[in-house]
Amino acid sequence: MRNQNDLHDVEARCTEEQPPACSAGCPLGIDVRAFVLAMKEKSFSKAWKLLERGMPLPGVTVRLCEAPCENFCLRGELGDAIAISALEKVCLREAEHSTPIRPLPARGKKVRCIGGGASSLACAWDLAKKGYSVEIVASEGGAGAALKARLPEGALEKELEKLEGMNVRFRTTTSLTAEERVTDEIDALYIGHDDFTSGLPADLACDEFTRQCSTPQIFTGGASPQDSFITGLSDGRQAALSIDRFLQNASLTTGRFPLRHGQTTLSPETEGIEHLPRIAPAGDMYTAEEAAAEAARCIDCHCLRCVRACVYLQEYGDFPRKHARAIFNNFSIYQGVHGAYSLIDSCSLCRQCEEICPTNFSMADICLDARERLVEAGDIPPNAHYFALQEMHHAQEETSLLRHAPGHSASKVLFYPGCQLAAMRPQQVWILYNYLRGIEEETGIWLDCCGAPAHWAGRKAETKEINARFRERWLEMGSPKIVTACSSCLEHFREDGGLEVDSVWNLLVKFPPEGIHAANIPLALSDPCTARWDEETKESVRTLLQDCGQQLAPLAASGKTTECCGFGGLMENANPQLAQKVIEARVAQSEQPFLTWCAMCRDRLAKTGKPVYHILDLIFPSQARDPAEPPATISERRYNRHLLQKKFLVELYGEKETADKPWDSINIDMEEDIRLLLDSRHILEDDIRRTLAAREESDAFFVNSDGRERASAKLGDVTFWVEYRREGYIYHILRAWSHRMNLVKEGD
Amino acid sequence: MDLRFIPDDMNWICQPCGVPLEARKVEITYLNASFKVELPVCPKCGRIMVEEELATGRMFEVEQLLEDK
Ligand code: SF4
Ligand code: SF4
Ligand code: SF4
Ligand SMILES: [Zn+2]
Repeated sequence: MRNQNDLHDVEARCTEEQPPACSAGCPLGIDVRAFVLAMKEKSFSKAWKLLERGMPLPGVTVRLCEAPCENFCLRGELGDAIAISALEKVCLREAEHSTPIRPLPARGKKVRCIGGGASSLACAWDLAKKGYSVEIVASEGGAGAALKARLPEGALEKELEKLEGMNVRFRTTTSLTAEERVTDEIDALYIGHDDFTSGLPADLACDEFTRQCSTPQIFTGGASPQDSFITGLSDGRQAALSIDRFLQNASLTTGRFPLRHGQTTLSPETEGIEHLPRIAPAGDMYTAEEAAAEAARCIDCHCLRCVRACVYLQEYGDFPRKHARAIFNNFSIYQGVHGAYSLIDSCSLCRQCEEICPTNFSMADICLDARERLVEAGDIPPNAHYFALQEMHHAQEETSLLRHAPGHSASKVLFYPGCQLAAMRPQQVWILYNYLRGIEEETGIWLDCCGAPAHWAGRKAETKEINARFRERWLEMGSPKIVTACSSCLEHFREDGGLEVDSVWNLLVKFPPEGIHAANIPLALSDPCTARWDEETKESVRTLLQDCGQQLAPLAASGKTTECCGFGGLMENANPQLAQKVIEARVAQSEQPFLTWCAMCRDRLAKTGKPVYHILDLIFPSQARDPAEPPATISERRYNRHLLQKKFLVELYGEKETADKPWDSINIDMEEDIRLLLDSRHILEDDIRRTLAAREESDAFFVNSDGRERASAKLGDVTFWVEYRREGYIYHILRAWSHRMNLVKEGD
Repeated sequence: MDLRFIPDDMNWICQPCGVPLEARKVEITYLNASFKVELPVCPKCGRIMVEEELATGRMFEVEQLLEDK
């Protein structure tokens, strides 16, 4: 079983929150991506705030930073790096406003910063901001003297004034004496090597990460006055961070990340992005317009590969790591997931994200695990999977069949079409079974539902029970090889059931039927999501198609990256509107008609009105169905399964039909639009018949003065209502609806 | 939940009671919640009628709300 730790490992795999290369390359960790975006929008004051928040001495830093970030900018591989430094200068010109910095309340601790170079000034800046009492001891020329020559008039002074505003005291000295380094009257000392050329201790070794020396109160940085400005500045900042922790008696390293030097695990998709060269300014500096155009070259580095591919993730916004965190936190705090049910129940568990993600993050694992926990806690919304589970039970209890071939008492092979193929294409199941018996006469038949819906619904105990039952029945049959036409059954039997199973397409590719016939147009081949990693079967399907001369139209998301039809994971049950969006988006990926080898995919995709072939239409042209045919309604599906079971029993085994249900004699009739309305409301014609049978039995109903009647019955958890006109024994159905709420009759 | 849900067309008669339905306050429940709602009810046998609009509209919304709580 998965525990909380494993799940946190899963969560941590999503890298979307890692910094883009530019930020990782900035020693100050400036949010460069957000800055560039603001520049693109010409929101200069917003852009400036992003700089000012992260930079010591921003007016100086913007002008002198060597911009190591640009060395790492991903745009560099696709033209030229974004001119981040130039953009910062434009931002300074357009929006610099010196908001006085308000330091935190005084902490009563004193720090001395030796040196007037970038490192000491940065260290002083960060510490003063945090409320420490700071004194800078600079060389003769004064604080910042070495920087001054490279700055416009007044720029340095402006930043020094800000330091003064934070009560930093300045002092100069001609020669640095050892007394300055005595730590008696101060709590910590920073020694910058980027100012004084003499008087510094020769062997001042420090820890590269924390910048702490062997004497714990002493910190150092700023290699030499010639060193790069930003390295010195960064040393000062790192030392200030350590000093702050040191003075609070906190660990210098816990939860602290070393500088990234451009390294990040964020891995944005760069395929298909056009190369673009850097915009050259017409004058010395970018105009506001030019800057915005330059910023517009930024590719806005994010991962979000899975989100871009998955309609479900788009629907819920954010990205997997955030969802995972929200779900885990919910579990650990409330022992429930208030408000996240729909997120958890709507994922199709198709695992496209897992395939696409550079680190194989699986939203499917997160959602399935959450469902299992909710079911275990008895905390799953009753409606989410109700109908699919009802259908599963119906297929298992009412329309299953398991026999050796007629006239045989053993099976070498068992053909298992899958409940959906039986429900949508009974004639094709029939012809396929007879064909398979031609290959191997000891081929038995097994009509049933494999239990995948229970697994998807998170019902572990029930799934286990079903699997055990299946295994028992299979052993009773002499454990023949199961050959299935459904990739979901195949996956389920293989992974959860422990049965010997293969795909029927792997068999047919070895014994292709004579008449197999290509459609006369290229078709977009949509692989079922449960066959995502089933290389052998995908290959067989392609070989079959190729051998009969079927041309295929390109479809981006296919093979390993194929998409779900919205049935998987019971998405369509939990969130029908979303499932509809999923198929609309799917069929829009190709102008051509679709071709698939999963019955559910065929009917789901056809729901958009797109012509969709099932591979059996090509394999057995005599039984081909019109690709434009609408999907079977839920009632037709039940009817077809019954029909198939009956056909096998009567025609192959010479048995009598199974007994009718008492309500089967109820005679109903309805227009096409009502049939579709019922289908969309998950109301079965059987539900209508049962409601009317109850009405006949109790003789209780409502009647309108215009002759319409209404009857209702509570079947399971659901109350059904039927409105109809009666004509002799025929009920003309006008409307039907249902609800789960309970009506409390007076006196009850 | 609206406290009153009475259709414009109240020309409904309960069978076999043979009496017209009347607007009455009744209780409906779901999960752990309960509401008082005015619905068409047979004054004689107490059977309640639920309109299509109510079942597929407000009732459905409340069901979903309660399920996701
Ligand atoms: S393209 Fe934009 S977000 Fe990406 S690294 Fe460069 S500046 Fe940063
Ligand atoms: S629907 Fe598929 S791709 Fe989308 S999150 Fe769920 S498993 Fe991943
Ligand atoms: S593909 Fe999705 S889950 Fe994986 S790192 Fe990117 S955003 Fe995160
Ligand atoms: Zn009555």
